[in-house]
Formats: sequence, structure tokens, C-alpha cells
Amino acid sequence: MDALIVKLKTQIIEQLNLEGVSPDDISPDDSLFGEGLGLDSIDALELIVLLEKNYGLKIENPADGKKIFATIRSIAEYITANGKA
Amino acid sequence: MKAYIRGIGQISPQQTFAKDDFLDTVVGYNTNMLFCIDPVYKEFINPLQLRRMSRTLRMGVTAAKICLTDSGIEMPDAVITGTGFGCIEDTEKFLLAMLNNNEQQLTPTAFMQSTHNTISGQVAIMLKCKEYNSTYVNRGFSFETALLDSLMLIAEGNAHKILLGGFDENSVNLHVTTERLGHWKKEKINSLQLLESKTSGTISGEGATFFMLTDKEDVNNYALLKGLSTLYKPENEKEVEQHTIDFLKRNNLSAADIDLVVCGLNGDVRTDGVYYHLRDKLFAETAGAYFKHLCGDYYTSSAFALWLSANAIKKQVVPEAVRLGKSPAAALKNILIVNHYRDINYSFMLVSQC
Repeated sequence: MDALIVKLKTQIIEQLNLEGVSPDDISPDDSLFGEGLGLDSIDALELIVLLEKNYGLKIENPADGKKIFATIRSIAEYITANGKA
Repeated sequence: MKAYIRGIGQISPQQTFAKDDFLDTVVGYNTNMLFCIDPVYKEFINPLQLRRMSRTLRMGVTAAKICLTDSGIEMPDAVITGTGFGCIEDTEKFLLAMLNNNEQQLTPTAFMQSTHNTISGQVAIMLKCKEYNSTYVNRGFSFETALLDSLMLIAEGNAHKILLGGFDENSVNLHVTTERLGHWKKEKINSLQLLESKTSGTISGEGATFFMLTDKEDVNNYALLKGLSTLYKPENEKEVEQHTIDFLKRNNLSAADIDLVVCGLNGDVRTDGVYYHLRDKLFAETAGAYFKHLCGDYYTSSAFALWLSANAIKKQVVPEAVRLGKSPAAALKNILIVNHYRDINYSFMLVSQC
């Protein structure tokens, strides 16, 4: 799980072009949206594509998105639970 | 139609974003592809907005911000831009993603920012400016058409202060594609020796230039833009010569009244002849200047020429790096810009002391 969290941090920083942010700056339990990292709806689309492209995971129910993308840890747990880690 | 130039901002392959440096030091490139020197964008744009912006968007928005600050005008009555290729790198990016991912898993950012009016839109959002906003895409007349629209708005009294921009970005894909069409020199040259090459083709370039145009006289104005004219695909050099005479005549001037001719010489032996023709026939006794060795050639490079001319008028200096032929007159009152893009789109601008 820890290795996946580090990998996810790197992928998110690259995909969202978070200039000046290093993996160490992001805690696995920080909120990604609103407070915390301050991502927005366009970033959410980028994250959906990231999951699909890199882990083959499609989020079928949009309502699940809020829970899955709450933190880096919740994304890692979703990936692990779906056997794609 | 006329307008005063109140403020200027420019990002180019030279240090033009620094207001105090009027080409005191110039950068030469040993490549046929010129790219802009980036300022520290974080000093101009909020980091949260910056991270999503492509290179050209950063260039354009920063040039606009520098111009707004320079002019002291916070809210324009209109934002008008001209661009030949728009945000070409983002267009390439999302088209490539479509191909690579078999039209699946496409992200929105590059697509959103690939439109030609991205910069004028972003500037308007940044300023919360809900006024007239337009972008012209007319190849080698893109900047000129945007300028024409600005002058007409001012002449009709529909706007009093207009943020006008011209921008284009270079890209490897674009350069390689147009290289096949013979646009660029085959041999590598030093850009500062562009006119010594005597071969076909030129060097590609890019830039983002913004002007604040206004109908109000002010001690801070750079210059008065007195006239603009365009000529499409002239048949021969004689037609260009006659067009120049007529243009000056319409502005109650003759060739003898011009203190400096800023021309678009780009080192292409196939198409530079017309500038030498004008020099020999009309401006044999007039000082000259050129600029494409500093910024490369691109659809909206005439904006660089206007930046150069407006600064020369205000500062009463013609930088050594752009001088051509005779020494400039002690007082610069009238500058004529003559530029063409690939012998197709000819433009003429008259810039005068306020």
C-alpha cells in the first residue's frame, strides 16, 4: 500500500502539473479537493482518466467518485480493492 | 483612423519583458527555431492558475499583464487579439493523445486550451472584463485585422481603451512540417547574421505582444498609430511601391517625411528583394531597421515591429542591433513599418510622435 501511495503521488503531481509540489508535501490523508490540495472539477476529470489509463479502472457510478477521490489513501484503497495494485 | 499607444508588454526571444531594457543586449541563436525567453511567470500569474496553463497561454497572459501595468489602465473596453496558429502546442497535444489512446481516455485541459481565443478569454476572465472580446485568425493578417478592428472601434467611439494583442508560438512539429514546405533555411545560421546568409528560407520564431490603445492624449503615451494598410499578394515590387506612396499620401506624408523604415527583412533571398526595391526607389536617404533576426518569422511578427517602433519613438533611440544602412535622424517623428509574410500578406503601419 505504501509503495502504491508514493507512486500515486508522483503520477498525480505529473498529471495535474502541480509545479513546486513534491510527493513529501502531500500527506496520504490530506483532502484532495476544497481544503488541502485545492483541486477542482477539471482535476477530477484528469484523475478519472489517470485511473482508467494507468490502472484499467472505470468509475461506473459518479456518486462513488467523491468517496474514491477524497484522499490519496482512498484512491490507493480503491485500486487495491479492485485488484489492480 | 488613429490611436495612441499607452502601454506595451512583450514576451519574445529577447529580454523584451524588462521595461528598461530596450534591446541593449540581444541574444543570438545558433538554431533556425527561436523560442521566447521566459520571465518568472509566478511573478505575474497565480500559481494555481499557472499550473494548468500551456506555454503560449503563459506568454500571452503575462504580456497582457505587463501591458496593463505599463499603461496604468486596469479595465479595458475591449480585448482583441490576432493569431495565426493559436495555441498550437495544445492542439498537437490533444490530437496526439487521441491517436495514441485510440480516441479514449482523453483529458480536458489541452482540448479546452487549444482554441485560438484561449488567451483573450483568459485575459477577460482574469480581469472580469465582460466587454467586447474578439480573436482574429487570418494567417499573415491576423494581427493587422485585430488592429484594424481596434482602430475602427476607437474611430466610431465604441471603445476608448483597447487591449490589443498579437501572439504565435513555435513548436518542433510545426517547424518540421513547414520546413518540408521550404519555409526555413536548410543550413544552421547564427540568427544575428540572418541577412548575411543569402540563401532561401528564414528562421522560425514566436512572440506575444500586447498594446493598450486609447483615444486620449497623455504624456505617458508611447506614440500615435496614425495609419494601417494591408496588401494581399501584390503582383510585383512596383505595386508595393505604389501602395506605399498612396498610403503615405493618405496620411498627408511623403517618403521624405519618414525618419525610419522598419522592414520585415528575414534573410530569404526569394522574398527580401521588395524591401531593397523600396529602399532604392523611395527611401535611399532614410535610415532603416529590421527585426526578424531577433524574433524569427511568424504570422504575427508585425506586432514585434510595432513594439520596436513605439519604443523607438518614445525613447528617441534606434537600438544598434536593429539598425540598417544610414544612421537614424536626430529626431524620430515618423516611422513606417513595412512587413510581409511569405510575399503574401503585406502590411504598412505609420507610427508618429504624439
